[in-house]
Amino acid sequence: MTEPVAAVEIDGVTKRFDDVVAVDNVDLAIDDGEFFALLGPSGCGKTTTLRMIAGLDLPTTGSLRIFGEEVGMAPPDRRPVNTVFQAYALFPHMTVRQNIEFGLRMRRVKDPELSQRVAEAIAMVRLAGMEERRPDQLSGGQQQRVALARALVNQPKVLLLDEPLGALDLKLRQEMQQELKALQRTVGITFVFVTHDQEEALAMSERIGVMSEGRLLQVGTPREIYERPASRFVADFIGRTNLLEATVDSSGAVRLSSGARIEAETSVPAGSEVAVSLRPERTRLQPRGTASADGHSLDGEVRDITYLGHAVVYEVAVGSMSVEVRSEGEVGQPFAAGDAVTVSWDRGAATVVAD
Amino acid sequence: MAGVVEVGLGRRTRRWLAAWAWVVFAFLYVPIVVLVVFSFNSSSRVNIWGGFSLGWYGEALSNEVIISAVRVSLIVAFVSTVVSVVLGTAVALALDRYRFRGRRTLDGTVYLPIVIPDITMAVMLLVFFAEAFKLIDSFGPRLTLGISTVALSHIAFNISFVCVVVRARLDQFDRTLEEAARDLYASAWETFRRVTLPLIMPGIAAGGLLALTLSLDDVVISAFVSGPGSTTLPVYVFSSIRRGVTPELNAISTLMLAASIALVLGSLALQRRRASASQQTQVL
Ligand SMILES: Nc1ncnc2c1ncn2[C@@H]1O[C@H](COP(=O)(O)OP(=O)(O)OP(=O)(O)O)[C@@H](O)[C@H]1O
Ligand SMILES: [Mg+2]
Repeated sequence: MTEPVAAVEIDGVTKRFDDVVAVDNVDLAIDDGEFFALLGPSGCGKTTTLRMIAGLDLPTTGSLRIFGEEVGMAPPDRRPVNTVFQAYALFPHMTVRQNIEFGLRMRRVKDPELSQRVAEAIAMVRLAGMEERRPDQLSGGQQQRVALARALVNQPKVLLLDEPLGALDLKLRQEMQQELKALQRTVGITFVFVTHDQEEALAMSERIGVMSEGRLLQVGTPREIYERPASRFVADFIGRTNLLEATVDSSGAVRLSSGARIEAETSVPAGSEVAVSLRPERTRLQPRGTASADGHSLDGEVRDITYLGHAVVYEVAVGSMSVEVRSEGEVGQPFAAGDAVTVSWDRGAATVVAD
Repeated sequence: MAGVVEVGLGRRTRRWLAAWAWVVFAFLYVPIVVLVVFSFNSSSRVNIWGGFSLGWYGEALSNEVIISAVRVSLIVAFVSTVVSVVLGTAVALALDRYRFRGRRTLDGTVYLPIVIPDITMAVMLLVFFAEAFKLIDSFGPRLTLGISTVALSHIAFNISFVCVVVRARLDQFDRTLEEAARDLYASAWETFRRVTLPLIMPGIAAGGLLALTLSLDDVVISAFVSGPGSTTLPVYVFSSIRRGVTPELNAISTLMLAASIALVLGSLALQRRRASASQQTQVL
């Protein structure tokens, strides 16, 4: 029996630039054929992690395997991976065709295989007719396709993408998200995708690794990351949330500083300081007194209302805290500032984050 | 409102600027025109027109001393350009990419030959050669100033100019292009040859052209470090002009002018051809 071998396996990898620790003791295994996103704010070490997989930076300590083979210190031309760079890095003195051919020529692939593979790659990213253009004669979206074709034509085992959609405008970006996903399904290889856009990560990937200050905080499916954040940082960074300071009361309940009791599962011992994460869109408003869901509600007073068209956001004062409630599909104007209300939610919507 | 006022002022300013441009243009080119016109003067008096003649060209081109000076100038220019392009580019690359001991000192001093006066440089080189010869001669050979000292001196100042021009190009060079090449399986050498070199080539060519021009142009340094038989054309012109301006000198100067214009046009044509040719050629 053989264990399925991970496409990329990062073991205790740290990268230090002089006195900056860019990547701090990261462990990560990315499965074969997976669409994996590395997500985190600017400067958290996403690019550095990707560059170490590509071989453009070498880890200070730790080991790195690609399909079981140790490559931590191997030069980039000895790794079965290719990269789509943040600003594409197309060779400006070469045509689209020459750019796409580059990797194959470096590996001494000869015609007819060469032209056949190039033609396939060009067709795959729908660039037929553009072969003789130069990068500066292409739009941003087209340049991005050339960068994709230039990498994929080499049939890498892993494709690394560093914020490949960052330079595109919103509409094109959404189109390319779909296209990239479809492309990954077609070629069936592992994609490791870096982004600081959490919506993009949620929409595109099978699993997400959330990074902050060089550390990998949590790895999971989009649903796990969103619904069961392991830390305040993750809860706050992915989507919007209300983080309410609380103390663990007994198993299954926490108590807010105001004394209010909230039912929420936790394995943290009683007395610990924690936070309760309540997503604004999982909460509702009712006039005070009409709700009876004890342990799944908080009494407060509407302080501010923001009308967004498709949704209305209420800021509700609960004791000394402020809770955001997001309501969609509301008809009329059921609440006004100053109304006494109850914020309530379904069982299980409140999650405890310990650190 | 403000726009209307600005346009009115702008038009007057523009007219003045145009007139001024013509004045500057005349200032630059009238002497050249005078020189060229009088090189075809049949009279031996420089400032009196005596009819059209090519006589002075014949005279100049049959003058053995002039022919020899042209030969020296061309050899020195060619050798110093080739050597300084190679060395200057190497220095520029080293300063741009590597951190090594003495890098900052080198970075600061490599440009010195550009800023110090020619005459200082000339004296320095002369003293250097004298001392070096003394040292080497003590082992037997008897070295003298000649065409090689002229070439060495031109290399010495040309390296700096090539280095400056190439570094300006390297400053704009996007290093991620090299990383992309490495990521696409190119070795370090292939990366240099297929990506770095083609992209900094305009800088190298410009540096080479500058070196060629500076070498052909130099008087002061060449005059100091040349010996018998290694007189360059500018040095010859300068030394004979002290004996008075002759129409023969006008003819030589006109030829030099024609040569440098041909050089510039040639390099422009070369660049244009390369640009259109590289659109068709393959990577390999
Ligand atoms: N070559 C380098 N030399 C010194 N410090 C570096 C170098 N590269 C990265 N760093 C530092 O390492 C940290 C992580 O950088 P990295 O580029 O990996 O961040 P990132 O998550 O990709 O950010 P962004 O979203 O802005 O691209 C930063 O603090 C950065 O300043
Ligand atoms: Mg980055």
